[in-house]
Formats: sequence, structure tokens, C-alpha cells
Amino acid sequence: MIINILFYLFSIILLLSSLMVILVQNSIYSILFLVLSFISSAGILFLLKCEFLALMFIVIYVGAIAVLFLFVVMMLDLKTINSKKDTLKYFPFGAVIGGVFLTEILMVVGETFKSNPYNVSFLYNSHFNWYERIDTFTEIRSIGQVVYTEYVLQFLIAGNVLLLATIAAVVLTINTNVASDKKQVIFRQLSRNYKNVLIV
Amino acid sequence: MRIETLLFKEVVILPELFLGISLVYLVLHCTFLSIKKNYPLIQNSILYLGVLVLFLSCFLVLNDGLEVLEQSVLNDTIVNDYVSFSSKLVIGSLSLFCLLMIQPYITSQKINQFEYILLILFAVLGLFLLCSSNDLLTAYLAIELQSLAFYVLASFKRNSTYSVDAGIKYFILGAFSSSLFLFGSSLLYGVTGTINFEEFKDLFVNVFPGSYDTISTEISLFDFSLVQFGLVFILISLLFKLAIAPFHTWAPDVYEGSPSASTFFFAVVPKLAIFVLLLRIFYYSFFGFFESWRYFIVVIVVLSIIVGSFGGLEQRKLKSLLVYSSISHMGYALIAFSAGTLESIQMLLCYLIVYSFSGLCVWSIFILTRLKNNHLQKQNKDLTDLVLLGKSNYMLAIFFTTVLFSVAGFPPMIGFLVKISVFLTAVESSMFFVVLISILCSVIGTFYYIRLIKILYFEKVLVGKLYYPIQAQSSVLISFLFFLFLFLFINPTLLYLFSYKISLLVSMSI
Repeated sequence: MIINILFYLFSIILLLSSLMVILVQNSIYSILFLVLSFISSAGILFLLKCEFLALMFIVIYVGAIAVLFLFVVMMLDLKTINSKKDTLKYFPFGAVIGGVFLTEILMVVGETFKSNPYNVSFLYNSHFNWYERIDTFTEIRSIGQVVYTEYVLQFLIAGNVLLLATIAAVVLTINTNVASDKKQVIFRQLSRNYKNVLIV
Repeated sequence: MRIETLLFKEVVILPELFLGISLVYLVLHCTFLSIKKNYPLIQNSILYLGVLVLFLSCFLVLNDGLEVLEQSVLNDTIVNDYVSFSSKLVIGSLSLFCLLMIQPYITSQKINQFEYILLILFAVLGLFLLCSSNDLLTAYLAIELQSLAFYVLASFKRNSTYSVDAGIKYFILGAFSSSLFLFGSSLLYGVTGTINFEEFKDLFVNVFPGSYDTISTEISLFDFSLVQFGLVFILISLLFKLAIAPFHTWAPDVYEGSPSASTFFFAVVPKLAIFVLLLRIFYYSFFGFFESWRYFIVVIVVLSIIVGSFGGLEQRKLKSLLVYSSISHMGYALIAFSAGTLESIQMLLCYLIVYSFSGLCVWSIFILTRLKNNHLQKQNKDLTDLVLLGKSNYMLAIFFTTVLFSVAGFPPMIGFLVKISVFLTAVESSMFFVVLISILCSVIGTFYYIRLIKILYFEKVLVGKLYYPIQAQSSVLISFLFFLFLFLFINPTLLYLFSYKISLLVSMSI
């Protein structure tokens, strides 16, 4: 019972905060809402007994990525741009499409997943599996066992994706010819006027 | 063609393994070489190393022999059958051609970072894995690998605003479509408890045979609506990757903005691999739902053919013209996909192979005609940049005309045969209206190919353009492609046998 209440609580917080991420104008607030959504999804994962994943969420997303975002946003010193016009222009179309999809998903999910009607009555056969209680792995150990045996190829592909991401980050940011970029040709600078400037 | 000492029968993913390991070696080699020698220009040598690595992995694919019809390894996540074998072979040869063709472009555009070739090789690795993946997780990871490489290839020219813009656009829309794929697969996992294609097939073909409608009237054992929901999401995400009509809006911008060599690569190579995944999901695992997903695809086919034929009429840039042509061609391929017979799968594969090779030829000519009296950095071509090519480079103009006729579907080329057989298979499964619309649109689409040919030969200008000479290796490759089209028209049995064998093995499960 209390788990259900907590589940709904966390889900509502998650939905509201992820809505606020895209609605709020100030980017720092939106990142803080992002952190809140990560924390609440970690809470949901705790309730679903995925302790390792929940801790990873908090360590990686909240600890590393969100803090990195915060630093970047604070350093970039972004001005808040008033994008109300665009929102109004695209809102009806987006709302119709989103509304149609949401109702369809809710209808299908509501039809497919039904809760057990005996769950609350005394007919419900509750029992403990004592073997499971005594002889279990911790979650991190079982994840490690599955990843290194059954899903070793997927693990390798994920490693390749990471290698690719590293190479991509390096190639998009490295600057090998520093000297030539900073050069300023005074003649060219003086002969510029607004007519021959290409604006893209 | 088989060397006995190289038979690693147990290691089915040997080509992928070889490609991945040699990629790591290439990264180390290039990095140490660059740092030690103070950043020399190693672009060409790395390109030929990449060609060597690709050739060797193609050789390993070819050497695999395939004594059993189908073999799944690594906990059933990788399947090695004739489909994956032949599609890997085609994709490998396409990327080999592609690497050799972009060499003069890379040199002239001064793309001097060696990572460019590595990214292409990473994409090929992803495509190879995609061809042989047998569950949703492996397929997702392979798609991510190839599309991550494509995003970086699109934004590779950092100093050009267009290129960075194209990269960002591609990245955002690609991430969106990947998330749709993940949502669909999570729904499928939630309903069935498995992500393996083999088990899907066992569940929906053997345990609950027949389509959704027949089941719901007889016995309501199982509510299939959520399965269909997940399937629709997966379909939408894969059509995003193929740039088919309602999901095509990113394609003209991205293709226009990114460097031509990258556009060449991701316009030609990845389509076949994604269609192999579509075949595996929709024909192998979920053929029981054929009646329900067929209608989505028919609507999408009509939309994409109309958009492709009418959108191309307005284009003044050669790249956008080719994008719209590819949209309509993917529509024709989807006609064969939605027909659902053995011949339709065969024609789908035929069409895709011919489309890929003619795309290879068109894009190679696009890249090889480098204007002389123009700004060096200008990489986009207007249609008029090819004006009077028939006078300045007679043979190249003839090749270009032949390929365009083949793409448009004129008789003495292979494009005609595959197009007419796609329409015939659709007629055989009584899709008359779709065929009527698509033939009419195909007539309209022929206009822009013929206009291109008119620009090549009959334009009334006094001064034509001058082009840089073409290297010997590229011209040999192009003439090989030209003779391929003519030869395949005279003797299409080669192609038909190849694709028939593939389609037999796809449909063995049906």
C-alpha cells in the first residue's frame, strides 16, 4: 500500500518536473528541474528493487552530467530568449498530435494491464520464497554476471559506442593549427564593410 | 575461394571482430603517428589502410562458407544466415567503392583529420552488426553505433555553419527516432517478456498463429493491441532512419548541409541494412500481424512517392534533387515490402541492390565533377554547374545519362526491370490503386531526371564549365559501374538468383 502511494508520488513528481524542464524559461531552473526528475526516477527504481540502477542514476546523471550542465550554462551566460511567439505558433498542432498519442497510449495500456482483483482480498495467497530470501546474489553481482557472460557482445558494442563518442568529441573540438586561426590581417579588417559580409 | 586455415567456424562474428579490433589499432596507430611527427598529412595513407581493412573483412565474410543455413550464436543474439551474409557483402563492397571515390574530394576539401576514415569504418561496423543482429538490444546498439558516426560525419566541417547545423539537426532527430525505437521495444518486452526475434516468431507464429483479427473473434487469450502499438513505434523509428515521406523533413537540410563525402556515404550505404532489420522484425518475427501493419505501410508508400516526385520538381540544387529522388525510391521499395509474398521480398532486395549501386554511380559523378573556375570551398552544386558536360567530358556525360535513365526506369538498363517487377508483385497481391498512383507519380518524377539530361547536353549557353581531370582509379570504377547496369539488363539472372536465395531464407520461417 505504502509502496503504491510512494510510486504514485514519485511518478507525479517525475512528470511535473520533466514538464517544467521544457516549460521554464530560465535554463538554470530547467536544469535543476532535470536533477529533480532524475532523483524521482531513482526513487521509482528503488521502489522497483533496482538498487544498482538507482544509485547509478544518482551518481552519473545527478552527480556528473547535471552538474556539468550547470557549469556550462553558468559559464555561457545565456540570455533568456522570449520564445512565446514560436510556442503559440506551434502549440495547437503539437497539442493535437500529442493529445491523440497520449489518449491512444492510455487507452491501450489501460486495456492491457489489469491489476489482480484478488490482490486486496483475503483470497490472495501471500507467501515468502525462503530460498530466494536466503540464497540470493546482490544486484550488482547478478548484473555483472549477466553482462560478462550472456551479453558480452552487447557489452563490447557499447564499449565501441563509447570509443566512437570519445573520438567524435575529440575531433569536433581539437584545434591543431592554433597559430593560423588567431592571425589578424589589418588590411582585410579595414577594408570590410557591411556590403561584403556574408551573414549565414 | 576458401582457405582452410582461416575457418573459424565457432567465431561467427569474425568479420565484425576483425573490423572492431583493427579500428582500435588504427586509432592507436594514427594518434601516435600524428603526435610523434607533429601532425603530418596522413589522410591518404589512412584511407588506403581503411580500404585494406574493409577488403579483408569482406574477405572474411566471403570466407565464412555458410555450410549450415542458419546459425545463431552468442546466446541467440547474433544470427548468421544467408541474409546477413549477402547484405554484409553488398554493404562492404558499397563502402569500399565509396571510400575509393571520396579520396579526391577529401584531398581537395582539405579534410585533414584522420578520424574521418575511422568514423566511416565505425559506421560500417555498426551496419555489419545490424545485418546479423537477432534481438532488439543488439539492433538498437548497432543502430546507435552507425548513427552516432553519421552525426559526426555530418558536422565534420567545423568551420562551416551549414555543416554544424546539419549535424545538430541530424543528431536531434536521430536521437528522437532512437527513443521511439526504445519505447516500442520496451512495450514489446513488457507484453511478451522477450526481445529475441526467434522467440517472437515462436510466440506469434507458432503459439498464437494468424493475425490479430482472427484471434480476437475466436478466443481472446491475448490482447494484441499493445504489441501492435510497439510495432508501430519501431516502424516509425526505422522509417525516420530511412527518410520516408511523413518522416523525411530532416533529410534535405541534413544532406544539403553536410560535406558531400559524408552525404555520399549516408545516402547510399545504410538503407540496405535498415531494410534487413525491417525484414527481420516484420517478416520474420511478426508476420502474424501482417494484415495490421500493412495498411500503415501502404499509406506511407503513397505519401512518400507523391512527396518524392512532386518535391523534386522545385529543387535547384543537385543534392536536394537526389534526396527527393531517394525518398520516392524508398517508397517504391516499400511497395514491394508491403506486398507480402515471396517474390515481393526478392524484388525488394533486387530493387535495393540496384538502387544502392545506381546511387553509388550518381554520387560518384557528383563528387568527381569538381569545377575549376570556382571558389574552392563551394561544395554544393546547382543543376547548372553541370551544364554542357556532354561537351567538356563526353564519356562522363554518357555514364551520367545512362545511370539517370536507369534510375528513372528506362528500358535498356536494369532500373527498368526491377521497377516493373516491383509493380508486378504489387499487382499480384491486388494493390491496384497503389500501383496506379505510383506509376503516375513515377512519370512525373521522370521529369527531373530528364531535365538533368537536358542540362547535360542541350543547354543554350556559349561557355561551358571546366572541370578538374578525374583520376584513373575513379574512372575505372565508374566505368565498371556503367557496364554493370548494361550487363544486368542483358543478363539479370545473376541478380535474381542472388536475391531469390536471400528471400527463400527470409521466408523460410513464414
